[in-house]
Amino acid sequence: MLKFRLDPRTKILLLVLVTAVVLGGVGGNHMQPFVYVLSVLPAAMLLSVGKVRKAMRGMLLILMAYTAQFLLMGKIHGISGFLLLFVTGIWSRLLPGMMMGQYVMETTTVSEFIAAFERMHVPLQLTVPLSVMFRFFPTVKEEFQAINAAMKMRDIRFGGGNMVKAIEYRIVPMLSCSARIGEELSAAALSRGLCGERKRSNVCRIGFGICDRICLVFGAVCVLYGTAAAIGVIS
Amino acid sequence: MKEKAEKLNGKDLINIGIYSAIYFVIVFAVALLGFIPIFMPLLTVLVPILGGIPFMLFLTKVKKAGMVFIMTLIMGIMMQLTGMSYYALIVGLFSGTVSELILKKGNYRSTQCAVLTSGVFSIWVWGNFIPLFTNIDKYFSTRQSFGQEYIDTLTSLMPTWMCPVLFVSCFVCGVIGGLIGRSVLKKHFVKAGIA
Repeated sequence: MLKFRLDPRTKILLLVLVTAVVLGGVGGNHMQPFVYVLSVLPAAMLLSVGKVRKAMRGMLLILMAYTAQFLLMGKIHGISGFLLLFVTGIWSRLLPGMMMGQYVMETTTVSEFIAAFERMHVPLQLTVPLSVMFRFFPTVKEEFQAINAAMKMRDIRFGGGNMVKAIEYRIVPMLSCSARIGEELSAAALSRGLCGERKRSNVCRIGFGICDRICLVFGAVCVLYGTAAAIGVIS
Repeated sequence: MKEKAEKLNGKDLINIGIYSAIYFVIVFAVALLGFIPIFMPLLTVLVPILGGIPFMLFLTKVKKAGMVFIMTLIMGIMMQLTGMSYYALIVGLFSGTVSELILKKGNYRSTQCAVLTSGVFSIWVWGNFIPLFTNIDKYFSTRQSFGQEYIDTLTSLMPTWMCPVLFVSCFVCGVIGGLIGRSVLKKHFVKAGIA
């Protein structure tokens, strides 16, 4: 069996495709077949790296959302129908993008990201903030959960009367611990030679393999079809 | 003008990354409210005000040209990645440049300029609303699954005159966010030696 490993650049392309077509709805109704393909793709990707449970859970939710839409569209009205449609609509659009994002984040190291961006000749001024950002998202989540728990213990909740306090008491600790973590990160980066004058070397070998080619062809087809539909060649 | 020649080093770039991450998390959390139609126009109020706090802390770390501009670019890219339009990126190119000029005028120290920058910077939020005004039918052709009620409510909330209103709202609320951010800084961070 061939090893399923994608180049970071291919992953980014797929992520952009999924978010643009499924979530952003680029191309409108013509792209509907691609919407289905791109909704399944993230689950397949997660499966390919052995994240069976995540893939199954995501796929199940998407399927449920589509079934509900299919069964109920046009049949129910009023506020409850509106809410139901709405939730399923958001689900079916948001989940594929989220799953794809999860796949990309879990299978790509920061070094690989930087290597990929370097090959694409993205300037370091953009690469470094972006990769720090992605490295930092899980930290933000963790810290926020901890702060949230602490504030719950003090009974400072959202919707508990004092909204301003609820927000302030969360953002302020969040910022102060982020500032500290930031200092530590920059010290770590300094020791990795991120600020050096000379060109950095990178140990990650990246390159396009057979799987990448398949994905790239698929991406090209998707884009071509979208453009053709947009200018009216295919109706 | 010695600072002008100074290039951004790794520490600056990492700071941009960290504050962009926090800013983006706040923006994203607030923007989810936009799925409720009435909150859609209110996003131009909530996002700049809440975002003002991390943004003002970020500005205390900005001492060189280009940092705010990079942050606007990153916000534009993130909007692209989360399925919004590319308008945020285009608007960001302008608002980012103007922010840089204002900051430069204050020599990266003046708090008035920082508050004003917070206002100008927030204009990128408005970019996300442009497709609602230029081509609302196309916008909704991609959002049929949200149901007709959603579409009707949102259309009635977004007449064309809302476009400049949202623009002004972004700026004004950005300034308010900046002021709040400044007072939060004074209250919490200056004492702790962070800002």
